[in-house]
This record gives sequence, C-alpha cells and structure tokens, in this order.
Amino acid sequence: MRGNKWFAALGISSLLLGSALAGCSNSEESSSQTNSDGKTVVELNGWGSSPEEEELLKETITAFEEEHPNIQIKHEVIADQYMDVIKTRLIGGEAADVFYLDALDAPSLMQQDVLEPLNDYMTEDFDVGDFEDPLVNAFKSGGTHYGFPKDFSTLALFYDKQAFEEAGLEGPPENWEELREYAEKLTVDEDGDGTPERYGLGFAKELARQFYKFQPYGGKLVTEDGKAAFANEKSVEALKPIVDMYKNEKTAGLPSDVGAGFGGDMFGQQKAAMVIEGNWTIPFLENNFPDVDYGTSELPAINGEKATAAFTVAYVMNKNSEVKDAAWEFIEFMTGKEGMEIWTSKGFALPTRKSVADKLGYADDGLRSSFVEGASYAQPWQAGENLPIIMNNFDNQFVSALLGEQTLEEALKKAEDTANNEISSSN
Amino acid sequence: MNKKRITSILVYTILIGYAVITFIPFLWAVLSSFKPLSEIVSGITFIPENFTLGNYTEVFSREPLFFRWMLNSVIITACMVALNIVFNSMAGYALARIRFAGRKFWFFLILAVLMIPFQVTLIPSYLILKTFGWLNTYQGLIIPGMVNATFIFMMRQFFLNFPKELEEAAQMDGLSRFGTFFRIVMPLAKPALAAQAVFIFMSSWNDFMRPLIIMSDKDMFTLTLGLNTFKGQYISYWNLIMAASTLMTLPSLLIYAFFNRFFIKGVTFTGGK
Amino acid sequence: MEPAKQNEYSESFKPKKPKPKINPKAPKKHPMGKKLKESLSGYLFMSPTIFTLGIFVVVPILYALFLSFNDVDLLGGIGYEFLGLDNYTRTIDDERAKIALLNTAEYVAIVVPVQTILALLLAAALNSNIKGKNLFRIIFFLPTVTSSAVLTLIFMWMYYPDGLINNFLSFLHLPTYDWLSNPAIALRSIMIMNIWATAPFFMVIYLAAMQDISDTVYEAATIDGANWWQKFIYITVPILKPVTFFVVIMGLIGTFQLFDQSYIFSGGSGGPNSSTLTIVLLIYQYAFQSLDMGYASALAVGLAILIMVVTVIQKVFFGEEKLHD
Repeated sequence: MRGNKWFAALGISSLLLGSALAGCSNSEESSSQTNSDGKTVVELNGWGSSPEEEELLKETITAFEEEHPNIQIKHEVIADQYMDVIKTRLIGGEAADVFYLDALDAPSLMQQDVLEPLNDYMTEDFDVGDFEDPLVNAFKSGGTHYGFPKDFSTLALFYDKQAFEEAGLEGPPENWEELREYAEKLTVDEDGDGTPERYGLGFAKELARQFYKFQPYGGKLVTEDGKAAFANEKSVEALKPIVDMYKNEKTAGLPSDVGAGFGGDMFGQQKAAMVIEGNWTIPFLENNFPDVDYGTSELPAINGEKATAAFTVAYVMNKNSEVKDAAWEFIEFMTGKEGMEIWTSKGFALPTRKSVADKLGYADDGLRSSFVEGASYAQPWQAGENLPIIMNNFDNQFVSALLGEQTLEEALKKAEDTANNEISSSN
Repeated sequence: MNKKRITSILVYTILIGYAVITFIPFLWAVLSSFKPLSEIVSGITFIPENFTLGNYTEVFSREPLFFRWMLNSVIITACMVALNIVFNSMAGYALARIRFAGRKFWFFLILAVLMIPFQVTLIPSYLILKTFGWLNTYQGLIIPGMVNATFIFMMRQFFLNFPKELEEAAQMDGLSRFGTFFRIVMPLAKPALAAQAVFIFMSSWNDFMRPLIIMSDKDMFTLTLGLNTFKGQYISYWNLIMAASTLMTLPSLLIYAFFNRFFIKGVTFTGGK
Repeated sequence: MEPAKQNEYSESFKPKKPKPKINPKAPKKHPMGKKLKESLSGYLFMSPTIFTLGIFVVVPILYALFLSFNDVDLLGGIGYEFLGLDNYTRTIDDERAKIALLNTAEYVAIVVPVQTILALLLAAALNSNIKGKNLFRIIFFLPTVTSSAVLTLIFMWMYYPDGLINNFLSFLHLPTYDWLSNPAIALRSIMIMNIWATAPFFMVIYLAAMQDISDTVYEAATIDGANWWQKFIYITVPILKPVTFFVVIMGLIGTFQLFDQSYIFSGGSGGPNSSTLTIVLLIYQYAFQSLDMGYASALAVGLAILIMVVTVIQKVFFGEEKLHD
C-alpha cells in the first residue's frame, strides 16, 4: 500500500499548516493610519473605470500627493457589486476613508448617519457657490453637505452623419415627433425579416434613462414622501412614443437586441443610427470606433420642453475615518478647482464647477457642448432613499410593456403598486 | 452483434453531439482571446484571421500584480484543498461509520447549514472575521473555508458504500481508528478524494464573493478577484476579457485533467494490493 | 484473498439481506467502554468540522435567525426592535415572494430531475469501454470549471436575437426565440444553461462512485444473460443510491438558491415582468438594496424550511440507504 505514507504525510502537513496559519496572523495587518515613511495614509475606494480614466485619476492623485507630501493615497478598486461591498464594510466599520457615491444611493446613506458632515471643513476658498446647484444639492440634506460632486454627465443624442446623409436628413431632430420620423427613415431592414439590421434609434430601457420624460408632461417620478408616482396618464403619455417605436414601428431597438453591451457599442457597430447616451460614449467611440463620423445634439424637446437626465458622483467621507483631516484635504483637492481641472481635462466626465467648465471651454467643444448645455435644465438621477426599490420594479415591468405582454398602463400601475407596497411594509 | 453495433453508434452520436454543444462556446471564447479587438467587434469570425498573442502580453503588462495574485491564489487554494480533503473526509467518515452519540444531530445540522443562502450570512460572517482581525489576510479566507458541508455530505455518502470488512480486518490487526482511517480507508477512497480535490480547487480558485468583501488590499487579491477587477475596467475590450477569462479557467482545467486518471475504472482495487 | 473479499463486499449490496454475523461480537467486551470510545473517536474526527462550521457558519445563521424576528438597523449604529413573527406573516402578503416562489418551484421541478438523469447517463456512458473517454470527460467538464460569470457572458452572446443559437435554428428552418427578453422563455433559457453547466459536476461524482462497484457483480449478471441496460437499472442505479441522494439534495439546494444567473441576466431586477425573480434574488434585494435584513432573514429561514421539507419528502419517496449499523 504505497498510498499510506502519502496520505499520512498530507494529513500531518495540512494540520501543521493549518495551525501555523492560525498562529501567525501578523502577515498583513490592515494598514494603520501611517505608513513606514510616516505619511498619513488615506484609503480611497471606487469602482473600476476605463484604463484611460484610471490613468487620469492616477495623474490627479499624484498631483495631490506632490502638494501634500505628508499624505499618501491608497486607491483600491471594488470589482463588482460596489454598493453591497461598501455597505458591508460600513456596517463592519471597515470602509475606506473616502469613497465614491452615486447620487442615486446618496439619500439612504445620508439618512443612515454613516457619512461625515463636511460643513465644518469647508473654507471660503473652497467656493461652494461655484458648483452647479442641482449637482451639489444631490449630496446635501437639511443644509448639511455630505459630499461634493466630482463630475457629471447628462444625456444627449448621438447621430451617425453618414446614415443621416444616406437617408437625406439634415441635422439632428429638434423634437420627439421629428425623432420618430427620422428613426423610421433611418431604420434598415434589407432582408425584410422584421428584425432590422440597423435601428433608427438605440435606447436603454432602464428607469434611469426614461424618468426625465415625465416632467415635461407634468408627471413626476416620486411623491413628496418618496413613493412611486408614475402610474398616471401623464407618465403613460411620456413613455408611449418609445414603446410604440419599439413594439409597433420597430424603429427603435435595445443594445441587447443586437448583441451590444450598451448604446455606445450599438452605435459604434452602426446597428443604430441614433442613440441617447452619456458623455462617456465619446472617449469610447474615439478608442474603439474611430471611423464613425458622428455628431451630438441636445435631446429633442419632449412635449415642447427641453429635458435630460444628469448623473453625478461625489467623493464622500466615512464617518468612522481615523484620518479625517487628511481625508478632507484630499476631497478638497479632488473637487476643488485645481484637481477637478486635471480630472476633467480629457473630457471623460464633465466638471461640476462652473469656473472649471469655463476654463476648459467645453461649452464651445463641438461634441461636448450639448452635454454642458443640458446641465442647466437636467434632472439629476435621484429621488429619495426608496429610489432603488422603485427602479427595480419599474425595470422589471417596463420591459414587458415594451414586448407587448401588457399595456403600458398596466405595467406602470403594477410597478408602482408593488414598489409602494414594498416601501410601506419596510417602514 | 448487429444490435450491439447500433447501440454503440447511437451512444457515440449522443456523446459526440453533446461534446460539440459543450465545446463550441469554449472554443469560441478561447479563440476570441487570440483575435484583435477589431476582429471580435466587426462580426462573427470563428477562427482568428489575425492570430495574435498580444492580448495575453497586454493582460500581463497592464496588471503588474498578476503574479502576486497568482501566488495568493496558489497559497490559498493549496491550503484549502489540503485541509478540506482531510477534514471533510474525517467528518464524512465519522458520520457514515462511527456510532457516536449525536451523530444524527450533526448530520442534520450539516445539511441544514447548506440550506440557508449565503446572502443573509455574509454580513455576520464579515463581522466575525473583523473580530478576529482576519480581514485582508490569507487566514480570513482559508480558516472559515477549511471544511465544507457539501463535501462532508458527499464523503459520508461515499463511505456508506465502503466495504466494511477491510476496516474490521485492520482493527483486528490492532490499528486504531485513526490508523485505520489514514492507512486503510483514505487510500481506498482515492476516486472520491480526487473528485473532492478537483471541486475544492475549483470553488476556491473561482471564488469571487468572499475575496471581494474580505480582501480590500490590491496586494492581497486572488487571481479571480484581480482579473474580475481588470474585466470591470476593460469592459469593452472583449479581446482582453477573453484572454483574462481563459487564464482564469486554465488552472482548474489542468487540475481536472490531472486528477481525471483517478476516476478510471480499476485504479481503486488494483492499486490496493 | 482479494476475490473472496470482493465477493463479500458485493454481497452487502444485495438489497435487504439481513447481516447478522457482525453484531454478536460486539457485546462480549465491556459494552459501555466501547460505546464511549466510539463516541470519543467520533468527536475527534468531527472536531475540525464542529469548530469551523460552528464559528463561521452556525453563529452567522443563528444571528440571521435572531434578525428574522426583529426590525433591524445595521448601518450607522446597530439597532433592533423585536417584532415577533411580523416578518414571517409579511411574506404571506408579499406578492413578489409568491411570484418568486412559483418561479423557483418551476425551476426546481424541471432542473433537478433532468440534471440528475443526464449526469447519471453521461457517467454511465463514460464509465463503459468507450474510445476516447478521457477526451469526453474533459470536454464535458468544461462548463463546470468555468466561473458562472464567464459562462453567463458566453450564454448571453449565444442567446441574443441574432446570436449563435438563433442563427443555428433559422439555418435548420426552426422557429427562433427571443431568449432573454421574452418572459415566457427567459426562465427556460436560464434552466438550459444551468442544466448544461451543473450536470458535469454531478457526472464526476457519479463517475467516482462507479469506481467502487466491483466487476464481479456485473460479471455474475452477464452470466445470467442481462444486457447493458438491465445491468444499469438493476445493479448500478441501486448501488448508487446514497450518491443519488447526495446529488438530488445538492441539486435541490442549488436550484432553490438560484441567484447568479438571474442576477446577471436581469441586471438584478428579476425582470422581464418578474419572470426571472427567484427567492434568493428577492432575499438579496431586501438584504442589500433596502438593507431590510430582518425581512430578508425571515425569507431565508422560510426558504431553508421549504428545502428541508422537500428533502424529507424525497427521502420518504426514494428511501435512503440505511446506515451500516
């Protein structure tokens, strides 16, 4: 029995190894406030972004560290399920000193008292008035600032110039009715199988990309007390065009219909002649589809009104941080005029400070001006602490309205009822 | 004879058909990792037209910590496999063969813990690791995972089928329970142990959720966590994602191919004497 | 020595044959002492398990159990408010819980039998004298070694309307489907993927178990004129009963706890129209999105009880191999 010794050895060595591991837990003590050079270490958590953005972030951080030689920034990316990980670490009191927070999740964290109020840290020099109001207000509760927006993007229309030329169209559509006509002309279904090879319009079906349509029709996303409020005629009117275009006219398609990851991808692959997307699509197209000749414009008017959505992310400070002063210096730099200028210099994201936007001249930038223009009337993607629940239920039901499984009225009603039930039973 | 022939043709047809269904998607994924991005995006080519190794060198060069992550994964996985094999088999053996008080209770408990989804125990487990000061350490991943209820259960079911006479003979020869277990039972359980080794290796190697929450320091990432972070950043770079995915899958496949020989009929008993 | 031993061994698998020869020996020596010794060595063998599972699994579960009777605040200072059974009664009125339960039940009812039978048949085929079985074994195992995130990506690519599967179907002039966004089909798409990815895992377990069946059993049957199928049904399947018990229970647990695929396919919402909403996805939504840990824990406990009930039913239904007492 040759095997015996081998198994005995395996058993003993694994026992030894187990006890050795249990014994010496000194290997990587979680880093304390200072590193070996005596510098204060500030931990920063964020989600992963494109390599180009990552590079630029590194550059901005380096600029900060040069100005503050006594502080070292330890930046770690959370690979997936960002908010779940952040929440778990916050509960354990082990979250990073500074982390990214999407406006969507801000209300619940502000209410839960886990973020450091920043009012006492702010100085005259920081110049809060310089921020675009709707963006900075997304991280403010009862007069207290809990974070400052690092950048933002609005939605705009991307249109394929070549496709427009072929269809005999000049310039982007001015309003939604025009967009609908254009989409019909731009849709290409050569083999006539009912599945176009190129859709007139590519769009995203999530609430985050649809909610801004409610307002021009006099509807709204949530009530004063944070409950869903879209099950009414106004909202139906607002969403009906896109449902009709998808379901009946087949002039609008989803990225998943053509195997694309998101609208920008769909547009780059020329499977949609127009898409409604954010600023992040510009560098994406530049890198992956440099040959596509396109333009951007403000979103077509909805019911005679200008409307778009704004997405913004802030740097916030952990209330349990042990290096609050250093953490503040970092936030101050990153959201201050100097840091923001470096960070937004390449146009991956737009500056939330008016002065920086002026300085970088994005208002005159051919592709980016449409996004900057939108900032003044954009509706931030945020609506109280229940928005994640509302969003879930909307996303769940709206698809089936798109597919014609149920009418839009039914879908919205169902989404609202389920969401509000859930909200009232959890409180 | 003719009937036998038809059966065997039928069996081969089904096996080959199933193999094709299974193999094509993987072949596609692996082949894609040798294509430049433009080729993947531009449409469906199956075999790379412009064969390149560039995606792999790029993954290595863009992630300087690649080998560190690999080392972390190897250390953690090696410990997990060694500890699990011994501990799970011991527990499975006890539950199947030793008549001790409370045996039924423990067996039921082991089944019961499998039935609670981890989503609700994640936060309490995290808090416990924090209390021990094991966040961001190897032992934070290894110690809680050094036994596995699933495989205790599996080993118990295996040992139920085991020839009891061998153990009795060994005990007559004066071997203790421990001696019997390590010298007689374990060597005879090679197929089950090999299967277990493969599964533990895979689950530890591919584990994503636990390292994601426990390891906050990039130096301590496992390969799977690191490459997933990489994938998050290179979301539209399908060529690099496919290369990273292939790199993630390869070790498990090699381990399986290695242990596969233990499943081959006859090894158990011819090797026993 | 060897053949004799094997015969004895195979004897023990013949159904329901009384085995009186072992027990008489035991009472001779100090019965109490022996029992104590057995218990001692039992606990010695179990000690690493009791220690590890106790601290890292049972304690968290007890905590979750405690939470399920409370209204919980975890973020920003932990707070509990005792609710009694409120969280449990709340599940009764929860429309979404009902949908999730139905989806999950359908999923379990289809996936568990199919994957178990598929795994058994594949293992049996690969255990016979087939040429190239090593290659088959490796290819069949591919889906299991790949992490589920990568698998889901591959599948999404194959499932999308103009993807590989529809191309293939239209090539054969079969109807094509909207695999991912059609509520009537979305759950089926996940089922197909799940069966395909999990069956090889159980196949390997069956394969390993088949190594322990001795040839002599089959030889005797061959002499009696049994064909391959008869041997499979009357010898292999009964001997593998304990392993089948494992495969079925693990299949039940795995399918009742379906999460990854429906999370990735639906972007976490469980859509379209709740067609991919599963119980664990619901638990996840409550636990992390609304941080309603109390209710999430109640759902989890409910799910565990449900799995236990089903386990007991199937145990009664199939009967488990008795312990060799």
